[in-house]
Amino acid sequence: MAPEPLLAQGLTPGSLDDQVLAVPERRPPVSWIAAFAFTASLAGIGLLCMAYTLYTGIGAWGNNRPVVWAFDIINFVFWIGIGHAGTLISAILLMFRQRWRNSISRFAEAMTIFAVMVAGMFPLLHLGRPWINFWLFPYPNQRGLWPNFRSPLMWDVFAVSTYFSVSLLFWYLGLIPDLASLRDRANGWRKAVYTVLSLGWRGAASHWQHYEKAYTVLAGLATGLVLSVHSVVSFDFAVSLVPGWHMTIFPPYFVVGAIFSGFAMVVLGLLVVRSTLGMSNIITDRHLDLANKVVLGTSCLMAYSYLLEGFTAWYSMNPYIHHAFKNYVHGVYGWAGWLAIVCNVFIPQVYWSAKARASVPVMVGVSLAVLLGMWMERFVIIVISLHQDFLPSSWGIYKPTLVDFGILLGSFGIFFSLVLLFSRLLPVVTTTELKSDLAKASAATHG
Amino acid sequence: MAEVFAVAGVFETQQALLSAVSKLRSRWQGKLEAYTPYPVHGLEEALGLKRTPVAGMVLVMGVLGTITAYLFQWWMNAYDYPIVVGGKPLNSWQAFVPIMFEVTVLFASFTAWLGALILLCRLPSLWHPMLESASMPKITRDRFALAIESRGEALDQGAAQASLKDAGAQEIEVIPFPPEPKPVSLTFLLGLSGAGALSAVFAGLGMYWTIKLFPVLPPMDRMLEQPRLDAQRSYPLFKDTGGFAPHPQGTVARGSLPYDFKTPEQAQVLSNPLPRTKAVLAKGKNKYDTICRVCHGPLADGKPSLTKAYGATPANLLGKKFLSYTDGSIYHTLMRGKNSMPSFERYMTQDERWAVIHYVRALQRAGNAKDTDLP
Repeated sequence: MAPEPLLAQGLTPGSLDDQVLAVPERRPPVSWIAAFAFTASLAGIGLLCMAYTLYTGIGAWGNNRPVVWAFDIINFVFWIGIGHAGTLISAILLMFRQRWRNSISRFAEAMTIFAVMVAGMFPLLHLGRPWINFWLFPYPNQRGLWPNFRSPLMWDVFAVSTYFSVSLLFWYLGLIPDLASLRDRANGWRKAVYTVLSLGWRGAASHWQHYEKAYTVLAGLATGLVLSVHSVVSFDFAVSLVPGWHMTIFPPYFVVGAIFSGFAMVVLGLLVVRSTLGMSNIITDRHLDLANKVVLGTSCLMAYSYLLEGFTAWYSMNPYIHHAFKNYVHGVYGWAGWLAIVCNVFIPQVYWSAKARASVPVMVGVSLAVLLGMWMERFVIIVISLHQDFLPSSWGIYKPTLVDFGILLGSFGIFFSLVLLFSRLLPVVTTTELKSDLAKASAATHG
Repeated sequence: MAEVFAVAGVFETQQALLSAVSKLRSRWQGKLEAYTPYPVHGLEEALGLKRTPVAGMVLVMGVLGTITAYLFQWWMNAYDYPIVVGGKPLNSWQAFVPIMFEVTVLFASFTAWLGALILLCRLPSLWHPMLESASMPKITRDRFALAIESRGEALDQGAAQASLKDAGAQEIEVIPFPPEPKPVSLTFLLGLSGAGALSAVFAGLGMYWTIKLFPVLPPMDRMLEQPRLDAQRSYPLFKDTGGFAPHPQGTVARGSLPYDFKTPEQAQVLSNPLPRTKAVLAKGKNKYDTICRVCHGPLADGKPSLTKAYGATPANLLGKKFLSYTDGSIYHTLMRGKNSMPSFERYMTQDERWAVIHYVRALQRAGNAKDTDLP
């Protein structure tokens, strides 16, 4: 059986422009405004809770000894992970010449940028006094101090800020030819804005050769970068001595988890964009099918990681690590451990069936389950490991406050508000790459 | 004939463009440029373009990034501000690897982006003649254009049009240079530099506000709000709203006997209660150096570090007059001051005053040493 074509029949480079580039030119429909109002009010709740946190101090949250890292760091790790799918799609799949990435790469890259922006808020809020966040960076100061570069927290600062900068460069480089197309369709002030944004791109052959090389090089750099970022995030845990954190499996385990949750978010986002913007001829069932296969594959890798983590714990013959692992599924927070296992390992297994991979309700359900499961997994790693470590005298119980939940809700609000804005303001599909694909396809059929 | 930028022909497919390029290449050597909606492979060879140097630039800058990152981490953590953390060596290069990698990627990525677009493509170029042409919207949509450009020489427009028509161009457009932009006026330049200076001032003030003032505004100052007694502030704890309670009547606080003497003569009756031990002299030296030395000098000879601008002439404590002072008279001077010397009652405890007197005696003895003192 030949695979379904990636793009629907009858699509030409011109009609692609008319469909994709017309979106930013139209006024948004009422449904979009309603959706944006909803996500923006969620964001508002989050911002209010953040303001309250800044006013009262970190005591507004449930964090305290021994669980000193909680929702703030869980959300940080979760959102950074969401971003990873975007880079994987745009960079790694480009390196492996997976042409199906072309329809979804722009959207996924935008998601990366928004997710990293949201993620970046949490370590800053966690500082308690975010207005002096520049102390994190090595800058010459009167006190003659420099940061300690042997600390994983310092590596994190560099990894996340590099990741954000490079993702932004990569995304913007891809946008330039599309912005030029938008410029040539527009008039008046829009034309002026798009001219500046597209840097006066004119598609000269002598430019394309530099452009293409720069794009490929950036993809190669981003590939290494995306693998390093979540590894560095995992070092925040793995380099410490807390039982349940101090493990060599952590870097790959975190990277796999990141891609897993990121793809679930991508599928969810694509479903929304596809139905609201009427793009099922560009983002076809085949794309979702392939993305769901990635979810299934990474889910199996997650299962392997869980097994290996358990094996490492058992093989360590260390009573503290044994206790930490029993605690994951038997302790006060045992429900969280089970929820993570069920959502991350068992539920995605329905994707072995091709019908499930094509059914929208199943996709939505599984994607939401994966997002919940991956959030719970970070909860398991952070809260359960911390609440009972070496000394029983310093064990404790963690309870989040309403402010914690408000900020979590707000992070989703901010992320989806940005996604909605993006979907109306910029082309959600990389038309340049698809035009090239369409030309190749028509050359193949017409000889 | 007006000078034109180029004559461009529009083609429908990339195959048509490629065959046109190969037809016109020999006739219009060095003057051809193609415009396409997406990168067309084989076009750079057909146009005879040089290989792009982006990869080499990225490699060089990436290596530079690695070296920079290593050097700055070494300089900061092992040289300029060396602290031992976790018993690791100062130059623990293994721990520097993650940041070396990140900075390598950062340098390389910015080089790829800025190098390709700014340095090699010479963008942004917002007033390029092509952007004004009628062919541009077609190119960014789905058409391919081949331009025969004048490149600073006179262009035979007729021949160029004929060549393009011959190569199968569907439409042919003569692209003029856009009208010469008006020269920039002096007022505009002055306004621009004024705006630049103004925004620099605003940026500086904004930065100052963000770093210096913002952190001490409410609610950011809540860290400073602590339950403690500050000088010159009232507190509701005591009746008189002072920070400290007055002594109850008829009691004497430890180490502060009441002092009722009015003149140094009256105070002569006092004698130094402290023994002349090493510890007492050390305490006296400490207090003398902290409080007295600035005026009376390190050797009590009245040669201080104060400049003349201070206006007073501190006493030379080694003089005959002061050798004849009793301990009690000196104590009175410390308590009540003398001439322009203020009272130091509040700066020393009772024992500290007596210790300072012992030390001053030692200085007097040292300052008036005789040959017979030698063993």
